[in-house]
Amino acid sequence: MAKPEDNPKAILDLDRMVHEPARLAILTVLASAKEVAFLFLQRVTGLNKGNLSSHAQKLEAAGYLETVKAFQGRIPVTSFRITEEGRAALRLYHHQMRALLPKEGKP
Amino acid sequence: MTTPDLKVLESLTRDYAAFQSRKSGLATALGGLMAIILVLTALSPNLMGADLLKRPLLDYILFVPFLWLVLKWLGGLLLYRGLGTVKAMPDERYERRRWFWILGLALFLMAFLLVGLYSFMNGFLIQNPSGEPVCPPASWVLWLPLLYLLPMPWVIRGIEEARVYAVLVSQCMIWLVPLFLFAFGPRNPPDRVWTMAGHLSMSAFLILILLIQIWGALAMIRGWKEHRNYLAILRALPQES
Repeated sequence: MAKPEDNPKAILDLDRMVHEPARLAILTVLASAKEVAFLFLQRVTGLNKGNLSSHAQKLEAAGYLETVKAFQGRIPVTSFRITEEGRAALRLYHHQMRALLPKEGKP
Repeated sequence: MTTPDLKVLESLTRDYAAFQSRKSGLATALGGLMAIILVLTALSPNLMGADLLKRPLLDYILFVPFLWLVLKWLGGLLLYRGLGTVKAMPDERYERRRWFWILGLALFLMAFLLVGLYSFMNGFLIQNPSGEPVCPPASWVLWLPLLYLLPMPWVIRGIEEARVYAVLVSQCMIWLVPLFLFAFGPRNPPDRVWTMAGHLSMSAFLILILLIQIWGALAMIRGWKEHRNYLAILRALPQES
């Protein structure tokens, strides 16, 4: 079986849903906690509300995250949770990228 | 987005979540300060028997742990929830340690309650059959340790919080000790065993008071450091675009 670094087209196999920088950041944050509030996710990724909502919807449609809606008193609070599929996709992406990138000191 | 950026995102999220689930920042410092003030109040003979709003000061002191729980909750809400809630990944080892603290505190309270009840029976019912109380506290005081026990599993989130709560409860127990051991105890110790037990318990309580002072000071320093760490996390977050 050919290693990813031997296959010049391996980069095309990357999951584009994860590869997009904003979505990669979102999944990375979600993978580091059990549940993350919208506000924190927005602040930590530096995305604006509209962008974050749009990326979250795409990731939810792909089955990589789930939205949790709750109320704190009368205030609606939105949080996100990464799914097992999302975690697996992120793991695979890391694995693929490590294989694709040149080793340190070997440009 | 580069790899180091992703690592920073990971660590910021983990730190923020850990802070919300395990650390109490200024609440820890406040607990230390309250413990020290309680000790100083206890050592002041004028304050010991003082009244506040027509009730003995002691009645209020006994509710200090509950006041701390309320202040901790308010502080968490106002100071440490600014960016919403981030729930940390479950950490079984940490949870075990937390429950170890809660169990330890529960055992301490149970032991105290048993000593109190024994003292009550010995001093009030057996040694003083006429039923004349020497210095009776309100009857609910006898069951107060159980009241301290109730909120622990729900309200104490982290080990630091359990430590601070344990110190405050211990402090309030010290306020109760004279009532249990000396007011209800026999006025003229009938035998050497009881006298020796009295000396031993006095020595143990003096050591406990000293330890509470030390822990109170440490808690103040630690809580302040935690608060500064939290501010550092906030500063490290990217600014809104």
